Amino acid sequence: MDLTPNDEQIAFQTATADWCRDHMALEDARARRDGLWAELEAMGWTGLTAPGMDLDHATEALVFAELGRFLAPIGLLSTAVASRWFPDVVDGKVALALTASEPEPLRVLDPAGSGAVLRSEPGGLRLFDLPDAFTDQSGTLHTTPHAPTIDLSTLQSRHEWTSSLWTEDDPAPALHLQLLSAAYAVGCADAARDMAADYAKLREQFDRPIGWFQALKHMCSDMAVRAAAARSQLYYAACALDENAADAAFHVAAAKRLADQAALDNGRTNIQVHGGIGMTDEAAAHLPLKRAHLLQFIAPAAREALLA
Amino acid sequence: MDIGFSPEETVFREECRDWLHANVPAEKRPLDAADAVDFDKAWQRRLFDAGWAGINWPVDYGGRGLSIVQQVIWLEEYAKAHAPWIGANFVGINHGGPTLILNASEEQKAYHLPRILKGEAIWCQGFSEPGAGSDLAGIKTRGRIEGNELVINGSKIWTSFAHVADWQELVLRTEDGSLRHKGLSWVICDMHAPGITVRPIRKMSGQAEFTEVFYDDVRIPLANVVGGLGNGWKVAMSTLSFERGTGFIADQVKQSQEIEELIATARANGMIRDDRIADQLAQLRAEVAAVRAMTYRNISEVVRTGQPGPEASVIRLFTSELGQRLERMAVILMGEDIIDFAYGDDNAVADYLRGFAATIAGGTAQIQRDIIGERLLGLPKSR
Repeated sequence: MDLTPNDEQIAFQTATADWCRDHMALEDARARRDGLWAELEAMGWTGLTAPGMDLDHATEALVFAELGRFLAPIGLLSTAVASRWFPDVVDGKVALALTASEPEPLRVLDPAGSGAVLRSEPGGLRLFDLPDAFTDQSGTLHTTPHAPTIDLSTLQSRHEWTSSLWTEDDPAPALHLQLLSAAYAVGCADAARDMAADYAKLREQFDRPIGWFQALKHMCSDMAVRAAAARSQLYYAACALDENAADAAFHVAAAKRLADQAALDNGRTNIQVHGGIGMTDEAAAHLPLKRAHLLQFIAPAAREALLA
Repeated sequence: MDIGFSPEETVFREECRDWLHANVPAEKRPLDAADAVDFDKAWQRRLFDAGWAGINWPVDYGGRGLSIVQQVIWLEEYAKAHAPWIGANFVGINHGGPTLILNASEEQKAYHLPRILKGEAIWCQGFSEPGAGSDLAGIKTRGRIEGNELVINGSKIWTSFAHVADWQELVLRTEDGSLRHKGLSWVICDMHAPGITVRPIRKMSGQAEFTEVFYDDVRIPLANVVGGLGNGWKVAMSTLSFERGTGFIADQVKQSQEIEELIATARANGMIRDDRIADQLAQLRAEVAAVRAMTYRNISEVVRTGQPGPEASVIRLFTSELGQRLERMAVILMGEDIIDFAYGDDNAVADYLRGFAATIAGGTAQIQRDIIGERLLGLPKSR
């Protein structure tokens, strides 16, 4: 039993955080630059979970929590999961569809430049052959219109249902997506906590840093508690998946539930700690909160799974 | 990272389980205070004789000298087997003993540690005072040095088991005019010494578990000072950091049993069909799982670095508040039967009322939040 990262895992974590800080700063998440996806591919983030990589879930969770801390593209989640479970067909970016039901059109997140769409449902994953742009036989280019989402870094499109590939009768693929999206939310909760604590040390009122006041200090402490609980459960869930534990589905659901809550609650608290500037578009305090509102709909934790 | 246990640890777990299965007493711990102490002492002696007392205490003082992971395994199996609460031995086993191991002289350790492990000596704690609660450094109880003795005057409060204790871990002011954390000493006080008066304090649940202790020219040998005169704050803090590290594992296993019982109750009485109840139960079950994950993470930290990480205070706060949420849910599931509660009852309502102590005793939830903000997040110190 060991729930602390080993040296190799710490190296992975550190390398991820360093790269993100230099190339994908959280403050830039309101509008990601065009070439970012190509850089992510070149760096190998998109193929990290492919079968040949042989990373365990624990290492993946650690890396995706770091990526989530910098509000990395949503498409990275779906691409990583699709690379694991559809290795023969996936080549390039895979967008993520939320759980709309037929015949309502699919709500597709982060579609730009994607060649397919991944959707999670109870009992399996579906991969749709839905390129974001294609050229028909007459040579005409068709592009899907993109619309904004509450998360400024994420665009969306709407698609009709088409034929799809399945991972049927295997709960593992859907749990994989749930685990990695929980990792994203853990990173998001961490980001909000650190932003608030940093600001509480710098901002002065009544001739002292506002973090001196217990009212503010305790709000920050609660953010730390929520983030620690969610992160610990994430580690446990990743290990449960690695061990094929009988209760792995419960532990992954618990991780997602606690991570979503931590991301939402920390996101809100961060804005309050920032005071006036926190409610503006100019500051970055709103970015983790808005990301949290999106993440809660990605592979959400079902109550039945938590009570099973 | 992994959540599995080694073959040796698994064998050890089976040994724990087998022994507990054969030896856990069928009768419950008595409610009457005097009977309960006899029960506690007899049970502790049985644990000692079978080699289950002080699993990670040094072999020289009667312990087993095993790893902290084995200690965790024992505590997990202990709670799963519904073995009795260690009761009056709590302070000796969880506070006094560990503090002595870290700070006491050879003579002090050789005398006291085996007696604690055998259940022969009951210990109590004397830290808080009427005027020194959260502000523990405001201690006023004085120990005047006279020859080779300390003459003690003052009072302590919230002392559990004082009426049955043989010894007390007592923190008092031994330097005249000293302020705050300076000039304090941690001494082993003989609770049978002349000049000690104990007044029971009845809690809102009806039980008289706490007491106030008065000292009127109580004489204690200077040889009973632990860790040197004037070092009391440092010695006391070594106990508290122990408590924040591994002292709550049994509570956490108990919580994982409680949530399963609550879900079963809600299914049986139909209240789980209420969406709000079902959702709260789902939430509680996730939180109970997180407590175990946090504890394992903290234990791993101890194994790796030799001491609990700063997140130990997070576990302490989270566990105490989660315990209260579980107790609250238990009385919600009782419906209007909560009205029938009367002093003397030992049921879910008594647990709920007693449970208010969890976020007050041993450092309030507010003090814990100060510690988390200052030590974990680096916010400026308010005090």
